[in-house]
Amino acid sequence: MAEKKKIKKIKNKPRYHIFSKGGSVDGTFLFLLLAILGIGLLMLFSASYANAYYYHKNSFHYILRQSIFAVGGIIAMFMVSKFDYRVLKNFSKIIVIISIVLLIFVFTQKELNNARRWIFVKIAGEDLLTFQPSEIAKLAVAIYFAKYMTDNEDKMGDFKKGVFPLLVLTGVYSILLILEPHLSATIIVICIAGIMMFIGGTKVSHLFMLGGSLAFGFPLAVFALGKWDRLMTRVNYWLNPFSAAKDEGYQVIQSLYAIGSGGLMGVGIGDSKQKYLYLPEPQNDFIFSIICEEIGFVGATLLLALFVIFVWRGFSIGLKCKDRFGSLLCIGIISQVGIQVIFNVAVVTNTIPNTGISLPFFSYGGTSLMMLLAQMGIILSISRENNIEDKEE
Amino acid sequence: MDKITCPEVRKRTKIVISVLVILFMVLVARLYQIQIINGEQYQKDALSSQMTSAMISAERGNIYDRNMNTLAQSEQVYDICISPMEIKNENINELTDIFSKMLDVEPERIKKACENKKSQYFVVKYKVPKLKAEEVLNYSREKKIKGVFLQENTRRFYPYGSLASTVLGFTNSENDGAYGLEAYYNKTLRGKKGRIITATNAAGTYMPYNYKQIYEAEEGNSLVLTIDESIQHFAEKHLEEAVKEYDVRNRASCIVMDVKTGEILAMANKPDFDPNEPYEIGDSRIKAELEELKGKDEELYNEKKKEAWYAQWRNKAVSDPYEPGSVFKTITAAAALDLHIVDPYSERFSCPGYYVVGNKRVGCWKTSGHGNITFSQAIKYSCNPVFMQMGQRLGGENFYNYFEAFGLTKPTGIDMPGEADNAGLVHYKKALSVDGSVELPISAFGQTFKITPIQLATAISAVVNGGYLMEPHIVKQEIDIHGNVVSTTEPKVKRQVISEETSKLMRELLEGVVSDQVGGSGRSVYMPGYRIGGKTGTSEKTDKRIDGKVAYWVSSFMGFAPVDDPQIMVLVLLDEPANGNVFGSVVASPVVGGILADTLPYLGIQPNYTEEEMQTMDISVPYVTGRTVLEAENKLNREGLKHKVIGKGKTVVKQVPSSGQPIPRNGEVILYTTENEDVSTTVIPNIIGYSGQQANKTLINQGLNVRFTGVSINAPGCVVAKIDPPPGTEVERGSVVTLEFTDRDLAG
Repeated sequence: MAEKKKIKKIKNKPRYHIFSKGGSVDGTFLFLLLAILGIGLLMLFSASYANAYYYHKNSFHYILRQSIFAVGGIIAMFMVSKFDYRVLKNFSKIIVIISIVLLIFVFTQKELNNARRWIFVKIAGEDLLTFQPSEIAKLAVAIYFAKYMTDNEDKMGDFKKGVFPLLVLTGVYSILLILEPHLSATIIVICIAGIMMFIGGTKVSHLFMLGGSLAFGFPLAVFALGKWDRLMTRVNYWLNPFSAAKDEGYQVIQSLYAIGSGGLMGVGIGDSKQKYLYLPEPQNDFIFSIICEEIGFVGATLLLALFVIFVWRGFSIGLKCKDRFGSLLCIGIISQVGIQVIFNVAVVTNTIPNTGISLPFFSYGGTSLMMLLAQMGIILSISRENNIEDKEE
Repeated sequence: MDKITCPEVRKRTKIVISVLVILFMVLVARLYQIQIINGEQYQKDALSSQMTSAMISAERGNIYDRNMNTLAQSEQVYDICISPMEIKNENINELTDIFSKMLDVEPERIKKACENKKSQYFVVKYKVPKLKAEEVLNYSREKKIKGVFLQENTRRFYPYGSLASTVLGFTNSENDGAYGLEAYYNKTLRGKKGRIITATNAAGTYMPYNYKQIYEAEEGNSLVLTIDESIQHFAEKHLEEAVKEYDVRNRASCIVMDVKTGEILAMANKPDFDPNEPYEIGDSRIKAELEELKGKDEELYNEKKKEAWYAQWRNKAVSDPYEPGSVFKTITAAAALDLHIVDPYSERFSCPGYYVVGNKRVGCWKTSGHGNITFSQAIKYSCNPVFMQMGQRLGGENFYNYFEAFGLTKPTGIDMPGEADNAGLVHYKKALSVDGSVELPISAFGQTFKITPIQLATAISAVVNGGYLMEPHIVKQEIDIHGNVVSTTEPKVKRQVISEETSKLMRELLEGVVSDQVGGSGRSVYMPGYRIGGKTGTSEKTDKRIDGKVAYWVSSFMGFAPVDDPQIMVLVLLDEPANGNVFGSVVASPVVGGILADTLPYLGIQPNYTEEEMQTMDISVPYVTGRTVLEAENKLNREGLKHKVIGKGKTVVKQVPSSGQPIPRNGEVILYTTENEDVSTTVIPNIIGYSGQQANKTLINQGLNVRFTGVSINAPGCVVAKIDPPPGTEVERGSVVTLEFTDRDLAG
């Protein structure tokens, strides 16, 4: 096995370069991506302009910033796609270290909404840029897991060597994120890790064991930390949002009002009423509620279908990839998109408790969007590689 | 691609994709649930949170009397409002100043409101009259102060002030009926408020798109009452006078009813209030008492004030039961005659001044006794012992059956709020039916039980109208804003209680109470030209004793006219007269007499004088000024008037009394024939307490004309009670002096 690995490494070495050898990107994926991004920007404009007007005296406040980052993100995406993704293999450890350092550094930052999730980058004395190190953590997990599981492909069934190191890394991230606190990012990181391990070949029994201990461990940990009551009240707000219609339940109730008001066909793009300061921050996590209100059940379902096709296409790019690293990396990145969409929609429909997960390509957040598009660039880079080999065949 | 791991990766990826797709489908199902299944509900809830609705007030209907005189109406007023958000800081002081000066509002309150910059709406003062409101608005515009605006509102206005206030009630600040008919017919009068629904954002300001929906208001309907403003006025005038004169402490009520239809022509209560200012205490004595308490004992003050409010708002004629006393003998007599158990004119009963029931000696009001009298006389004199015997003769069951048939055990169902429900009287049946019952004979003259004035009035109407128990009502018609009749209350006969014959007989017997000028207990109500029947009542308040002795009385009287074809019935009760005599015949009958004297001619019922009456009637002095003395003499002679000429002129330059004044037949008119002739005057002597003969003689000797009102002066025991003009006034000779008599012997 060790020999085989070596052979593979040697075999692999000449196969990647700094720049991609330049096959064409996956057109379908790119098209779906741009379609989603376009719809996302349109809906962001619609959802945000009332808030932008009332709080910033400028209806274009959010859409302008988001558009700039979207353009920057697309440029970044194409630039990334021009690189050979395999370069990332060499940076996997560095990325992990950087992400952990940033996750620690974030504790020095100021609190926002009772949490330290953002790093504020001052430009000319003003916090012009903010970004969440958790975004980098998610990417780091995808890259490092892909690399580790490629390097230790034959040890995947071995708990000590194939599972434990990954478990430790996930644990470190989880603890750091929980301390921010940022529960949703923790969940996503765990989900990405879980999916990648599952696809990467970890024994199902091991995964079940991990899942089981998580299911037991989480409540125990909450109890041990003395946060049990807080958890219960949150669960209670989830189950009976109308019991606290004026406070904790307010956002969810307004979200349900918005979704429900959409009916079958929606009230029309731009005509949401709930966005007029009823639904707090409709440009962020709860943008999907406004979408549901404006384009109705039919539109929302079509949008979700678009996401499903998009994610599906992402997975198939991963599957097409002839190199295990690329394959796993692609799956890791695209599953992050899928998971976020599912969690986001589940939250705004009050299907699960409100944890604060943004909707990819839709929710306002420039650096986040840029990061996301850059990650899409990695997938495009992988697709380029696929296309070259297709041609060769 | 690694050929060994490839199928496994593929397989597991497919599983992951499947799980993701399933999760997506779950979410779509969830969306379906929210948007399609529950969508409408969420949409409705969302709308109600997004919309602010402004009310369009519906105009409240008016209340008219039967001749369409407006008793209650709504008038447009304005609420003065400010939008603190728009008010500039430098204007606050000036604005506060304007408001406190022009509207008499507390400056601190305004200042505080102005400082709340988030607010866009604050009412400075409600219901300001139009002119004043416009003045304030113009003033603020002149000073270029932004943020002051007016809001339409309506105010209830009662043009006749306190007239029929306990019937009408009043409205609260929201223009909803709070009391009386205003409350009972609130839905009818109020109409339906309209709404303007406008979309707003969560901050309460308008959204930048147009969404406006208007639900038109439906104006309230108006009520036409059976009340006649004039009769109501007569009733209140006489009631008020009696309350003052006899210092009635608890309450006074009066009901004037159309006996044929059960329509309430007038319903008056004292104490009452001005519905324009319902919280002002109307009774000056209570008001003074309250003022004294104010500041000393706040708790007691507030309690007493509340008590006084309810006392003046309550429609005592409908809500407060009382022991009817002898007026109730009407019912006992009607029952006895309907069962033919007594011949009213031939059978004789004895009244030694008391009657023994069980081991109890119950006295007659005339302690010396009425002697051997017929039942007819017993009614006239209001003899208790005879009625006690009659009660026993009737028996408990019969008595109760008539009691029930006359509607005394149930509310009358009049369309007014707060009718007392004396359902407890059902148990009374047992007490009456026991052999040797003490209750039965005493009940026969109207004590031991309580009924409401409206119940008694309805029952008495049935006694005199041919036997038909009517459902009394006060609303004649409901009309819409355009005057179209929406509904009309038809007279409703509940049942025939006694026969037409019994009713006719009762009318005759009751006429005797008034027409018998010697012993009739109601003779003070007698009015020449009209046939009036009635019955007095003086009931002991058996449940309010001091040291076990009866200390309070209710004096009452019911009268109806004309006897041959009754039209109206007047019931008056004065609860706790404190001043002097308490007998109904003295205290209450003049009120009924006064009301009948005003009302009968008003209703167009022509007097029909007997020969005897013609003799004693007043005539009005003819106009002879400017005529020659001869002409004047002829004219006065023709009218049967005497005259006296003063001066040596040829023509009459002045006459006393002047033309049109009532003067008794055989009165004397003084004719002055020279200008500036010294007018011969005299001072009116104090002759209160003189008998009719004495008084007449004294005044005639002074060259005055004498007129009598009230009881006939022929009755024994009649003395002068009132002189008009009052004693000590200097008047010209020939002037008419009106004497009012009371009957010292009257009682019952």
